[in-house]
Amino acid sequence: MIRFERVSKRYPNGHQGLDNLDLHIRSGEMVFITGHSGAGKSTLLKLIMCMERPSSGAVHVGGQNLQELSSDDIPYLRRQVGVVFQNHQLLFDRTVFDNVALPLVINGTPPDEVGRRVRAALDKVGLLSKEGSLPIALSGGEQQRVGIARAVVHKPALLLADEPTGNLDPALSAEIMALFEDFNRVGVTVLIASHDLPLIAKLDHRMLTLDQGRLITDGE
Amino acid sequence: MSVAKRPADPKRKAPKGAARSERNWRHPLRSWLGSHRASARQALHQVRSYPFSSVLTVLVMTIALALPMGLSVLINQVEQLGVNWQKAAQISVYIEDGVSKERQQEQLAAIKTLSGVANAQLLDKELALAEFQQHSGMGDALLQLSYNPLPSVIVVTPSSIEGGAAALEPLRDRLAAIDGVEQVQIDLLWVERLAAILGMLERFTGGLGLLLIIALLLVMTNTIRLAIESRREEILVVKLVGGTDAFVRRPFLYIGVLYGLLAGVMAWLLLAAGLAWLNVTVQQVASLYQSDFALIGMPWPDGLTLVMGAMLLGLVGAWLAVGQHVRAIEPS
Ligand SMILES: Nc1ncnc2c1ncn2[C@@H]1O[C@H](COP(=O)(O)OP(=O)(O)O)[C@@H](O)[C@H]1O
Ligand SMILES: [Mg+2]
Repeated sequence: MIRFERVSKRYPNGHQGLDNLDLHIRSGEMVFITGHSGAGKSTLLKLIMCMERPSSGAVHVGGQNLQELSSDDIPYLRRQVGVVFQNHQLLFDRTVFDNVALPLVINGTPPDEVGRRVRAALDKVGLLSKEGSLPIALSGGEQQRVGIARAVVHKPALLLADEPTGNLDPALSAEIMALFEDFNRVGVTVLIASHDLPLIAKLDHRMLTLDQGRLITDGE
Repeated sequence: MSVAKRPADPKRKAPKGAARSERNWRHPLRSWLGSHRASARQALHQVRSYPFSSVLTVLVMTIALALPMGLSVLINQVEQLGVNWQKAAQISVYIEDGVSKERQQEQLAAIKTLSGVANAQLLDKELALAEFQQHSGMGDALLQLSYNPLPSVIVVTPSSIEGGAAALEPLRDRLAAIDGVEQVQIDLLWVERLAAILGMLERFTGGLGLLLIIALLLVMTNTIRLAIESRREEILVVKLVGGTDAFVRRPFLYIGVLYGLLAGVMAWLLLAAGLAWLNVTVQQVASLYQSDFALIGMPWPDGLTLVMGAMLLGLVGAWLAVGQHVRAIEPS
């Protein structure tokens, strides 16, 4: 599903995001990426989303070498990935329903099907009753779950999450992780960047550890 | 999972999740319409969420449209008046004193056969005197005279006055060459002056229109740029979940067209009302000159052109703005 071949990412300011990284994640896996702040976790996820381009090496997603994608192709890559990113959160002037519907509206899903799928996704994260609310009226944990519903509403084969439990207390964090496990159980490949080691340790999944852009444990 | 360039060829897409999202592409027209509807709704939403700046933008655009359009409509209608006057343009052929009535009839017949002559009418000196007495208010003074000081005149209507007095020179020479003709007088100066003034006004309006169109595009571009900035977060999220540049651009293009439509309609209403208001005065003035000239108001083809043009300008202005700014906003 995902293959990194000697991937390095050097930012224009000289910071090394990733350093000669080799990595293979198979379809259907659930994988945690850990490491200190600045280790390169976010950089790794951004390369998969084509939000950044590698300085050297090749990234393959779903058999496609991302190097070969033109900027016009990138949206079609992103439509097949669900993302829960900390800093790209909800639109606060739209209802929960409209937020979750966004990926479907973008790919031109007919309205009746949009309604069906959005409700299914909201039901999955336990927020069906909140579809008409504005995100501001929700708690932090609920907002995060709306973000997750948005990430899975179009049934992507790959789900990426960057610090999805960053601002949540341990109980809520565990709930969120359980949700990701549910998606993984139905075949979605899940990749989660998190430095919440105590939480991850409790879950039995492959764990990659990054340090200064290098992979120090592969977990295989 | 794999990556497709375009939704047009779902078969290209390989296994898994991709196959599931193929469904959407079975309704290309519906989804196209649906996404346009969404864009239009977003545009309306944007316009409504910034009512003050929206109204201001529309007003500025309205003025920029109404000013040159109003001038051009006015000039057109005054030109119409000029055309009527031109039809009345005449050449006066004065007959020497003492030419017999029979000879005058011969002269009239000869003039009528000349090329370039649409019509000719003999106004003999008795008739001329009677007319003069009636209109000049000097009837009594003339009655004091023991003789008729007025000459007989053949009034010639040229078939065309294209090219002004200069173009009528050959005809004048031929008229002057007729035996018994004392003088030929062409009075076109005022027609030429009117044409010159109208020509100048037209140029002025054209230049003004050009400037105002540029101003309108700048206003539009700036408004859309602000709209894009105000939705920066949203654009980032949309791009992150796979919105194409075209998808991101579309609501802003709709906003441009919407502003254009509103400004065009407003300008039309403004001009219709303005011309009607002006017409009251114009008719009063015209009646003082024994004319029933009146403005015909805002012709609806001009109004439609105005609205369509305004929508097009809105679109172009928005296009200029999104071209610069939408691509620059990328999630990172
Ligand atoms: N946009 C950027 N511009 C410059 N340097 C960056 C940028 N993003 C990340 N970096 C640098 O790359 C390294 C890895 O960062 P990041 O991938 O965000 O790590 P993590 O997510 O593990 O905290 C850090 O040294 C960071 O300063
Ligand atoms: Mg990070």
